[in-house]
Amino acid sequence: MSSTWKPRIPLLLVGLFAVLGAVFAGTSAADYIAHLDRQMHAVTCSYFPGLGSPDASGTSGCFTVMMSPYAAVLRASTWGGLPIALPALAVFLFLLFKALDTLLRKREDDRHETFFLVLACLLPVVTSVIYWIVSVAVIGTVCKLCVGVYVASFGAFGAAIAAHLRAGRARRPRGVLEALITAPVLPAPAQAGYQGGPTALGGPSSPPSDPGVAAAIASLPPPPDEEAPPAAGLFPLPWGRYLAYFLEGVLFVGLCALLYLAFKPGYTEEMARCGKLLRPQDTYQTRLKLHPVPGGVRALEVLDPLCPACKGFHERLEASGLLGRLDLEAALFPLDKECNWMVTTSVHPGACAVSEALLCAGERAPEVLAWSFENHESIRERAKEDPASARASVVKAFPALAGCVGKPAVAARLNKALRWAVANSLPVLTPQLYVQDQKLCDEDTDLGLEFTLTRLLAARAQSGGKS
Amino acid sequence: MNPVVAHVGTGAGALLLACILTGVWTGGASSRLEQAQAAPPKDKQVAVASAADEGYCTKDLKQILRRVLTSCGLVKKDQGRGCQPLEAKSVAAMSGGDFNALFHPLAQRASIIMFEKDKAELDESDLALLQKTFSDQRGASYFLVVSRASPEGSVEHNRALSEARATAVLDYLKAQFPDPDLEQEVGLLWLGEEFAQLDEEFCKWNHSQAGPAVAPDGAAPAEAPGCTTAELNRSAFLAWIDCRL
Repeated sequence: MSSTWKPRIPLLLVGLFAVLGAVFAGTSAADYIAHLDRQMHAVTCSYFPGLGSPDASGTSGCFTVMMSPYAAVLRASTWGGLPIALPALAVFLFLLFKALDTLLRKREDDRHETFFLVLACLLPVVTSVIYWIVSVAVIGTVCKLCVGVYVASFGAFGAAIAAHLRAGRARRPRGVLEALITAPVLPAPAQAGYQGGPTALGGPSSPPSDPGVAAAIASLPPPPDEEAPPAAGLFPLPWGRYLAYFLEGVLFVGLCALLYLAFKPGYTEEMARCGKLLRPQDTYQTRLKLHPVPGGVRALEVLDPLCPACKGFHERLEASGLLGRLDLEAALFPLDKECNWMVTTSVHPGACAVSEALLCAGERAPEVLAWSFENHESIRERAKEDPASARASVVKAFPALAGCVGKPAVAARLNKALRWAVANSLPVLTPQLYVQDQKLCDEDTDLGLEFTLTRLLAARAQSGGKS
Repeated sequence: MNPVVAHVGTGAGALLLACILTGVWTGGASSRLEQAQAAPPKDKQVAVASAADEGYCTKDLKQILRRVLTSCGLVKKDQGRGCQPLEAKSVAAMSGGDFNALFHPLAQRASIIMFEKDKAELDESDLALLQKTFSDQRGASYFLVVSRASPEGSVEHNRALSEARATAVLDYLKAQFPDPDLEQEVGLLWLGEEFAQLDEEFCKWNHSQAGPAVAPDGAAPAEAPGCTTAELNRSAFLAWIDCRL
């Protein structure tokens, strides 16, 4: 490799990782934005976007993360919110710009340029760490596209540090002082103290503890670049230039966000009209009190305890912050042919047995529901082979229910719950949410939940709770 | 390269790329949403929860059921309950054999409660079978109770006896399953000895014992309970009907 290109390799790597990050973030943003048409689409979930078949079943980690409340911000203000992948795309394109710009202007030896690049690359790194923790600890799954973004973030950050270190080496003789000088971790006033006097920022002066170090620093030759600091390595920082660069970054993110908000699909009142319950009365006492809130707005969640979408919906509802305003009950609608004649195949095998357990549990129903959501995959898998296994699992987890689950009385109650669905001509799908008997459209139960539910609650409040 | 040109050029290029991607994606979503909203409603329909309507619910069967149920006061709330033999004959407009054949597809769904001779009381095995059968409603809309009497005795007596047997079943259900919808779900037909007597073929169906399974002193009965035609018709035929009318 020629000596002309070798010094540029770290910056080229920053650009390469920025491109990689832009591809992953862009793919994720495209998948998210595609869902703003209120329809279901297959999502990309691959370490190699574009290769491999997309997930149309909604079972991949990418889909779960995309539908989680952490995939977007401003959800209550605009339908679907602003997907976090879009600003991520803007940031990576900004990093690409900064890397190319530094190379084309031949400023790879300018440590102020490389230091800003390090700072800029720190943003996706910090965001990646936060989102990785959220994915693992809260959502419980990690998406492949997100992993691509994490790798790109750390890669760009590492390459930026390498570029900055190389810039330091290019300007100074190698030695023990190099690390001290090139490490941009100390606050400006403290670093300024190396010059042995008060700083331009008016900070306190703190001379180096070792006079030899101070002398060595003072004896360093001035940099050839007129914009670079004259003697003390990195400091004082060119705040004006950094502010300009920062504003450039803000422009990238801000313009993308503004364009998105300007051109994203609108939400009309007609979209909110999805019918209401014909016979809302719970004649047979088949409902579960999921989240009793005295004085809260009456709401009903139609759910299947083994339905992954119901689990996701319930989590979104909890994370939305709106649950506290709802006096929430659940109506059981297991999509399992063991008890539900409306399905020809068991969509969620074992759901009938778990539904019986929920009816048996009474006040402990939320506890049983949390258990079923937690274990829904394993219960379904076992029930596929042996339909009786779900009953055994729930009784093992909640021995007190053994005398009730599977008995004719509770089977009859569950049947009544299903017949209530018939009486109200409900769609055969879960989850569904009714707020004071008014249906929240199915298209609004995921990306648009916060927005539409907030509007619905506001409308209920204005009408004095009259449905 | 001129540093200013390089800076502005690369910055504008990257920014333009971000804007184009954002515009294309959001524009695509908007146009798809408009198309979806303009699509006919039938394209958006999903299955709606409904009562069961099994394959055996042929057009003819539904017609007969509708006639029987309407005439027997089941569909219209204020009409008198139960369908007497003469009414059943007229609304069914078919032979007893053909009438019974309508229920053949229900072999796995129906039960026959067998009473003692000249009795209308339900014993323990009858109650257990009744409870089991009634609990297995699934998606069915109507529970039919078709009671009969064996030919011994007068026609009038057997008519009253079969009515008492049907009423005994209904009374038990009312007591055991306090359900506001019960009146609209359970239909009674009492046929006495006059119409659609069951033949021995129905002995293969799920049925309770004709007599006590154990003697009053706890010993085994001297003779095992049988299933003659006479015994079979001292009965109430029970079945949930999985048809939508």
